Amino acid sequence: MSKRQRAKVIRGVQYAILIAAVLLIIVAADWGQIQRAFFNMDVAANLFPTVITVALGNTIFYTVLGFALGLGLGLVLALMRLSSVAPYRWISGIYIEFFRGLPAMLVFLAVGVGIPYAFDTRLDRNVQIMVALGLVGAAYIAETIRAGIQAVPKGQIEAARSLGMSPTRTMITVIIPQAFRIVLPPLTNELILLTKDSSLAFFLGSTLAQQELAQFGREALNTNQSMTPVLVVGVCYLIITIPLSFVSRALEKRFGKGVARKQAKASATRSGGQ
Amino acid sequence: MERRSRRILRPAVVLAPVLALSLAACGGDSEGASVDGIELVSDGQLTTCTHLPYEPFQFREGEEIVGFDVDLVDLVAEDLGVEQAIVDTPFDTIQSGADLDTGKCDVAAAGMTINDVREENIDFADPYFDASQALLVAADSDIEGEADLAGLRVAVQTGTTGQEWARENLPDSELVTFEDLALLTAYVQNGEVDAGINDNGVLYDFAGDNPDVAVVAEFDTGEQYGVAVRTGNDALRERINEVLAAAREDGRYDEIYEKWFGTAPAGDDAAEGEDAEDTEADDTEADAEEGAADEESESSESAEDSEN
Repeated sequence: MSKRQRAKVIRGVQYAILIAAVLLIIVAADWGQIQRAFFNMDVAANLFPTVITVALGNTIFYTVLGFALGLGLGLVLALMRLSSVAPYRWISGIYIEFFRGLPAMLVFLAVGVGIPYAFDTRLDRNVQIMVALGLVGAAYIAETIRAGIQAVPKGQIEAARSLGMSPTRTMITVIIPQAFRIVLPPLTNELILLTKDSSLAFFLGSTLAQQELAQFGREALNTNQSMTPVLVVGVCYLIITIPLSFVSRALEKRFGKGVARKQAKASATRSGGQ
Repeated sequence: MERRSRRILRPAVVLAPVLALSLAACGGDSEGASVDGIELVSDGQLTTCTHLPYEPFQFREGEEIVGFDVDLVDLVAEDLGVEQAIVDTPFDTIQSGADLDTGKCDVAAAGMTINDVREENIDFADPYFDASQALLVAADSDIEGEADLAGLRVAVQTGTTGQEWARENLPDSELVTFEDLALLTAYVQNGEVDAGINDNGVLYDFAGDNPDVAVVAEFDTGEQYGVAVRTGNDALRERINEVLAAAREDGRYDEIYEKWFGTAPAGDDAAEGEDAEDTEADDTEADAEEGAADEESESSESAEDSEN
């Protein structure tokens, strides 16, 4: 058998395995049961429009709250991590290890139950969600941003400084914007993770009007004795997350092109200048 | 880089405490008000913690939460001249007292059995419902009672008295713990577990709606449900007791009972339920198989006897 023939056979076998697996699933699955359990249209119809107006809306709202705090705190932590003052580095390092290492569920319980016990104060529920999601998100975002800042070429700092910019101004106007462009994909990733973690708001209690997608789906599952709500809720999550990925990719492309063009231009002028 | 980054950092580091402060500032807003010397966590509302769904005690109907517990607490809210607001929260944090201690709600009404462990963390008002544990199995199952459960998979709900009872009385069974009542019933239905244990009221209600499962036995545990308040909140606890007593007196309690269970309460005496127990277990299977969702049916009637 020639090399080419062997490659052909191997490819044929791979296709065969794939087709066999798909066929096996189709034959083995109890489609009637699946339809009854997951595609019960009566149950699904009852979920609308609440699943969109309340549950989806709350999920987005909680995620935005958490991400806003996470981004702010994450930026501060990233700068602390890069600080020349050792205690700042330690604090930041400990924070990141702590909140990155804990299940988000424990953080939610700690915020919902721990803070009121510890400080004898009651935070508004939205603030609790913001704090819990933000604390978790910040730990990941800090590491991402730090990597982004470190990835900005050193020449950029030197150039900005030699133009007479102060270090703060350099950081704010030159380094951080470039760092954000670099970390756009992992930041999107973090936003998607936070979208899903917002389901843990359940631990803080909710009224019907405060239910987010996962809790809404679970309660509907329990009330209707059907898996259909879970499917509907799952689709709702995808409605949020898939467009996010697209937006992120589009932004990346745009920024990426911008960078390439600017760099090309810059090098052109430089060579032209010479 | 060293010196530079230190200076760069200054504004950033100043930000951190500012953020923390502003968060703390957001917190203190919803200070409660008091009605007749009873402190409420939020103004003009009697906030109730519960765990959904627990039909017929509390469950969603359209855009509202309704049920036996809801109606009872409504009486208290009415008496205080406020509206009831219901918060859905995990059962663990209700029964551990965390929700009440941290001011998430004023009362907890969640079909919750009064027991010593919980008494340490929360204060119960007088009992408002008598319950026992029941055994839910598939309608075509051979399981008839406790003796048949050895070596089988038995579903229980986390943090409930049913779980406790199963731990003590079913050492030879494999206990599978679920977060919700309905996850538990769903797993009994799909055959993943051989049986499920939960309070009789809700399991009879479920079996009535679902002919493929049946309640085949009850384990008399002499349990009573109570509405709970934060430890030491005697003003509210006494007010609840007054309202409950008045409602039992003037028939409002019976009315609500009939609305959700289809029959009048057999008696306000807890001891009666214990007497009815033996005969009940035998009748149950036949009754449950009638699959009577109908509220006036015999099955719910017999469920009633056992509960009281």
